Amino acid sequence: MLKPSLDDLIKSSVRSILKNKGRTILTSLGIIIGVTSVILLTSIGNGLQVYINQQFESLGSNSIFVVPGKVFDDKGGFNNSESARYITAKFRYQDITTLRRNLRNSLVLPQSIAQISIKQGSVIKKDITLIGVNSQYGDATNITPPTGNGRWFTKEEDDKKTPVVVMGYKIAQDLFPNGNIVGKRVNVNGKNLKVVGFNEKKGGSFGGPNLDEYLFAPIGLVQGFAGNDDIVEIIIKTPTKEEVEATKVEVKKILLKDYDEDAFSVFDSSQLLNSINAIIGTLTIALAGIAAISLVVGGIGIMNIMLVTVSERTKEIGLRKAIGAYPRAILIQFLIEAVILSCLGGFIGVALGWLGSLAINNFFPARVTFSSVAIAFGVSALVGIIFGVAPARRASKLSPIEALRYE
Amino acid sequence: MIKSSLSKNKPVVLELRDVVKTYTSGNTQFNALDGVSLQIKKGEFVSITGPSGSGKSTLMHIIGLLDNPTGGQVLLEGQDISHLNENEMAKVRNVTLGFVFQQFNLLAKTSSLENAMLPLLYSDVPKSERENLALQMLTKVGLQDKLRNTPAQLSGGQQQRVAIARALVNDPKIILADEPTGNLDSKSGTEVMKLFHHLHEDEGRTIVFVTHDMDLALQAQRIIIIKDGKVEIKHA
Repeated sequence: MLKPSLDDLIKSSVRSILKNKGRTILTSLGIIIGVTSVILLTSIGNGLQVYINQQFESLGSNSIFVVPGKVFDDKGGFNNSESARYITAKFRYQDITTLRRNLRNSLVLPQSIAQISIKQGSVIKKDITLIGVNSQYGDATNITPPTGNGRWFTKEEDDKKTPVVVMGYKIAQDLFPNGNIVGKRVNVNGKNLKVVGFNEKKGGSFGGPNLDEYLFAPIGLVQGFAGNDDIVEIIIKTPTKEEVEATKVEVKKILLKDYDEDAFSVFDSSQLLNSINAIIGTLTIALAGIAAISLVVGGIGIMNIMLVTVSERTKEIGLRKAIGAYPRAILIQFLIEAVILSCLGGFIGVALGWLGSLAINNFFPARVTFSSVAIAFGVSALVGIIFGVAPARRASKLSPIEALRYE
Repeated sequence: MIKSSLSKNKPVVLELRDVVKTYTSGNTQFNALDGVSLQIKKGEFVSITGPSGSGKSTLMHIIGLLDNPTGGQVLLEGQDISHLNENEMAKVRNVTLGFVFQQFNLLAKTSSLENAMLPLLYSDVPKSERENLALQMLTKVGLQDKLRNTPAQLSGGQQQRVAIARALVNDPKIILADEPTGNLDSKSGTEVMKLFHHLHEDEGRTIVFVTHDMDLALQAQRIIIIKDGKVEIKHA
């Protein structure tokens, strides 16, 4: 049987740690910082991943994206070569017509973009992204305004390039802080547009562009603002998920008649998602790894203080040995102290990391996972054991005679 | 004041037979103890004295089972314990011996009660009885109203009495006191000596008392004088 019993050992370790609170906190600081940063960084990585997955799910798994330039390299990662950087190719309206003619069951949704200035009363906002789409786009991509917030624009408005606009949540709030948005008029680059609807809070998409800050209007109208008839992206919605692969092949075949292989990319959400997930996963591990270095530094701090503690308490060790503590009892006692110190740091670090990620979550997706908490806490306990062994061994090997004589 | 020996026929608790302790430093060897034989009987109050460097500290370490002899035998109640390993020695110290040191060696920022309980932490005494035993011993040394005080809140004499309570708590066969009054003023020193006399006379405790002070040594029932690693005189 272990003597002293484990709870006696823990009790006496906690007591000796509490005798010197200031030092305890300073000693644990390295572990606190290490665990906090591991938790924070992994929570950001996880949050981002979950968020992006949700965004893609809301787009639907039956979406195919067609964009100019070569997005993916041959290995499935994102392409980083010249052709991706200098995108000169744009799609024309005739591409849409061709695609629609060949893909009778699918929805072909073109997109144009214009950077505009918007004015409402005294509020002027510059460099706002106005996205030109058609009347089917709202329902197809889940951004039709909910009941009570107006509507998406109609086919008729689309065909006639009627000056109407659907607003993202944030820009609607900025322009109309008092509510009463639907039916109002805003001035876009000198032209009056009627607001027919606005969205609920949607947040960013793909971790980058924020749907809440976008405006949507009929594509013909937007091309007028942009001063060209470029189409920058085509989204194709197949009736079912099963048709995605075949449709991709078909789309490529059609476009290859008019464009070079490297001039455009056809991909679906799962492909994009896999690439993004792989990148975020690697990034999260790398960041957490860097943060974990501070855990090692924290462990060295604990070892340092435990060595000081052992020499400060040489007489105590001598006394304990004289009255019957066998070497292993002393070893375990000091090991437990080191582990408690590092677990305390781990605990505080988890709490701080968790609070921190709650705070970050207000403006960036962050999610603390159980596994990151378990790993961070486990590693800090392990650090305590590894770096506690040397001081504890030194303590257990002290000769009681020398220790009692120590001044 | 050498009391007449009433313990002639009492059983021997601890016996040293021709104990040698040799320290080696480089090529030179030095016998700190050079063939010491002595017996300590149950209920005796023995003092060990001698000039500094005489080997009395080494002798105390051997009697206290803190060190193994180089040669000879140490017998505890007839059992040879001179070749025990560290763990076994710790166990024997825990059940057999009660130490009282010159420096008190109490744990700082720890109550008298918990200081007195410390040896029981390493013993088989059940947890439920530990506090009660420590309380009894502190009452015995007159500190029942200082149970929660830490060493810093106690006088030197009181601290040494806590240390004596700690030495008694495991009901040891031998109390080993090393210059227990060395750090005390004469009044507290006298009180501590009185306590030892009480423990010896009224409770029949076996006490081994190490001091360099001949006046104090003479208060014991029997004196062992050590010089140059040898027993010079055994008053009996």
